[in-house]
Amino acid sequence: MEKKLVSVLAVSVAMTAFLAACGNGNDNEGSSASPSASESPSASPSASAPASESASPEKVENFTVSLRHIQIGDAQKFRKAILDDVVKQTEADVPGLKIELDGIEDNVNRFTKLPAEMAAGNPPKIFDVFGGAGDTQKYAKAGRMLDLTPILDELGLKDKFLNGVLDPFSVDGKVYGLPIGGNTEGIFYNTDLFAKYNLNPPTTWDDLIKAADTLKQKGVTPFAVGSKGAWVPNMLVNTFIGRIAGENTNAGFITGASKWNSPDVVAAYQLFADWEKKGYFTKGELGKEYGDMLNDFVAGKAGMMFDGSWRSSAFKNDAVGAAIAGKVAFVSLPAIPNGKGDQTSVNANYGEGYGFSADLNDNELKAVKAFIKNMYSDEMQLRGLLEDGVLPSMQLSDESIAKVTDPIVKQVLDVLKNAGTTFPHFDSVVQSKVYTETETQLQKLIANKATPQQVGDAIQKVQDAENAAAAK
Amino acid sequence: MTATVRKSIPHMVMIAYIVVILAPFLFILFSSFKANNTEIATHPFGLPKKWVFENYKEAWVKAKINVYFFNSLYLALSSAVVGVLLAAATSFAITRMRFNRISSWVYQFVLIGMLIPGNVLFIAQYLLVQKLGILDTHWSLFLPYTAGALPFSVLLIAAFMRSIPHELEEAAVVDGMSVFRMFFQIVLPLTVPALVTVFIVNFLGNWNEYLLSFFFISKDALRTLPSGMVQFRDAFQTNYALVCTGIVFSVLPVLVMYTFLQRKIIEGLTAGSVKG
Amino acid sequence: MKTTLRNPYVYLLFVLPTIALYFLFFIYPMLTSVYYGFTNWNGLDTKDFVGFDNFVNAFKDADFRNSIVNNLYILLFSCCVQVPLIVVFSLLISSVKRFQGFYKTTVFMPSILSTSVIGILWGYIYDPDVGLINSILQAFGLEPIYFLADMKWALVSILITNAWQWMGFYIVLILAAILAIPKDIDEAAMIDGATGVQRAWYLTVPLIKPIINVVIMLSIAGALRVVDIVLVMTGGGPAGATDVMASYMVNKAIKYGDYGYGTALSIIIFAFALVLTALYQILIVRRQEKVEY
Repeated sequence: MEKKLVSVLAVSVAMTAFLAACGNGNDNEGSSASPSASESPSASPSASAPASESASPEKVENFTVSLRHIQIGDAQKFRKAILDDVVKQTEADVPGLKIELDGIEDNVNRFTKLPAEMAAGNPPKIFDVFGGAGDTQKYAKAGRMLDLTPILDELGLKDKFLNGVLDPFSVDGKVYGLPIGGNTEGIFYNTDLFAKYNLNPPTTWDDLIKAADTLKQKGVTPFAVGSKGAWVPNMLVNTFIGRIAGENTNAGFITGASKWNSPDVVAAYQLFADWEKKGYFTKGELGKEYGDMLNDFVAGKAGMMFDGSWRSSAFKNDAVGAAIAGKVAFVSLPAIPNGKGDQTSVNANYGEGYGFSADLNDNELKAVKAFIKNMYSDEMQLRGLLEDGVLPSMQLSDESIAKVTDPIVKQVLDVLKNAGTTFPHFDSVVQSKVYTETETQLQKLIANKATPQQVGDAIQKVQDAENAAAAK
Repeated sequence: MTATVRKSIPHMVMIAYIVVILAPFLFILFSSFKANNTEIATHPFGLPKKWVFENYKEAWVKAKINVYFFNSLYLALSSAVVGVLLAAATSFAITRMRFNRISSWVYQFVLIGMLIPGNVLFIAQYLLVQKLGILDTHWSLFLPYTAGALPFSVLLIAAFMRSIPHELEEAAVVDGMSVFRMFFQIVLPLTVPALVTVFIVNFLGNWNEYLLSFFFISKDALRTLPSGMVQFRDAFQTNYALVCTGIVFSVLPVLVMYTFLQRKIIEGLTAGSVKG
Repeated sequence: MKTTLRNPYVYLLFVLPTIALYFLFFIYPMLTSVYYGFTNWNGLDTKDFVGFDNFVNAFKDADFRNSIVNNLYILLFSCCVQVPLIVVFSLLISSVKRFQGFYKTTVFMPSILSTSVIGILWGYIYDPDVGLINSILQAFGLEPIYFLADMKWALVSILITNAWQWMGFYIVLILAAILAIPKDIDEAAMIDGATGVQRAWYLTVPLIKPIINVVIMLSIAGALRVVDIVLVMTGGGPAGATDVMASYMVNKAIKYGDYGYGTALSIIIFAFALVLTALYQILIVRRQEKVEY
């Protein structure tokens, strides 16, 4: 009996010891890091770098830096390859550095994981983040994010970014995040299906409606959509609002210049509800993920989808949507009859990029600088455009842009060139609570649990409260 | 109705139930060998036309299921073992030692925890582990898991220990036995049925836990099976065959262990909880 | 006797670790929850004392009320559908000799799997395009059901999955109690000519009432604890149709950044647990014999 007991105790002690070991030093588990890195003492965020760093440059200290990215799954493989190269380059540039990648689904990172980490004050050192009042600006104001202004000056990068793209990432003239690229949200359509049913490209409202009605009649879903994450249908709502209520509406919610329950915005929601009623969208959309939407479109179950231009890379020959490679075209949402404002305006976002924790030691700061230098370079911007169809957020020469051969990316560039003006997605404008409410309410609208007017009223209520709080 | 028919009714009902239990497993298993979504959709029940094993290689490389599995296993085991030992020591003190007034307070105090649904404390616990500086380490799961099981464990083990006759330790005291030896050599062995039950219940609870593990851990190498699998699903949502393979990977070792241990698990679970 | 079992140091050694851990992870979070529940803390910078606002708003919040109703559905389903089924299946298994072990082992099996893995697995079973159930429906020429996307079906789907996972666990508990009943009682009844159903209802069920009570208690506690499966399968959707109090609380705190409101909700959930437990104790258990574990 005694023996048995002793062995049980021994096991549990061993377990605890093992646990302790794992708690402290498994930064390198599961990755093919250099074995020496496992002795790294910098696992804990508070590990202080030696103050005499500059005095003894020969001494190489191994340390890890956590990096949160959203390039997971097959559809993101091009962007992941770029990230991997930047990581490799950065590790080579900074002796002793090991970057620890943590990939999480976009929506989970943006709305669940990162907010929780920000509240706890332990975000990853480098992380994928969105611009705007709901994300970067909120975290920056709370002192959670690194002020990049000195680094941009040092690297001479500030003027390289396109005009205005740093604004959603700035607070009081200081820059806290850097957009990786840009996109516009519009209609992808299956040219084979359109040819099969003798449909004109959906470049005018009448052609669009005719195409949707015809497809519906033929048993093809007009628009693939996956509304389990409501940011997906929110893309179309955003452009509806821009078209019907005018291109300045989205930017005006936060100032009170426009209201969610104004007749024009409600009309946009009404149009969306009408399309729901006509059965233009995938059946059971509330149970479908963003990936399902692409799946349905690629499988030819749907003739169109309203999506961001970043999706263009899915239709390359070696990508997830290879089945319809060469049979996809991209147009902006056509002018809506009686819509207000400039009907040639299109949505343009430079919303997603990287931010950095305010809590960095000297070593980590070096790593961050090297990462910025490598990621925000002409080379990577061009690769993003050519390989991944992501529009550059930095100035590229005309020759560089002329290298684009991908037909869809060319169409995307044309859409932007022909646009009279651009407007942002409201997700990079309004406060996070307001944005979350738009998702909640849109799902209710889709489920037929709320009328367009109720949706507008509910969102405006949150908007009023948030605007009042911001004014305090 | 003849006797044979009447006798077979329970079997028919049970077989229907068994089919409901097993069908999902078979569906997932077959799907994992199928080439693509189309084949799953067109032949949901049948065996794959061609057995595709690439999914298994791919899933193994893309999701570190072995890492998740191992993390889950040792966290669930260690916190269940430590929890049982702590609860047993406390139960011994409050049921067998002569501090009746304090013991009754301690007992009542710990039992309040039974009334708190675990997830209620989630937000506050998140802030707590952050303050303790153990966020993003396995301590942030080990400690709440161990603590979370204490009220139920103390309740059950204390009830069991109370039923042990007092004459035993009186004799032991007369023999000059120390209190530690009394605890380890006399009371604990007699309490084994309850300890095993508590261990199994705690182990299953920890093994299942998703909410804390999702929010408290941000490093892929530290993730447990529940949160790791959900992230794998999120990443490869529409690649049904691949995700099904991931499910097979995560379920198979458990089922293998279960076939060997099922007798012990089921008997252990019931021995301490049901008395006559 | 006196010294050995009255050694205060040993007593402390045995009790203190438990109390410390318990205090740190139960009582302290409970106290901080109460504190945060009275603030409008957003997780980042704002933290003002707002009195009872959060609690007043909670009961004005139609979505939260909806999640309470969903919790009650789960509770009713557990107690009124699952528990009777569990008893019936236990009686059935106890009545057979052949395959008894096989039945027991198999029905218990789902409870050793991770809830989230089960959530993922059943997500595919329910899938409208490739899922098992819809493939069967289509084989009979029926329209597919959008289980997790349809407001009417989503909660039912989750309830079925939850029952699939946990029924076996309770069956095993009750079965053990049935098998522990002395055989001679049953045999005596058999000689008196009672049928199987009669014996089950008049003999076995009264004898296992204590353990049934335990199972009901566990089901009530379990119903309030349901959250993992919801987060994994639907995230509370579509449009709140499967939101339970706990998932709503998590969403409010994390997604909306309303930590003050979220902790206020957690206190309300705690209050619900207290009330339900007290009600059950007073109404049911006190009137029957005292249940001892």
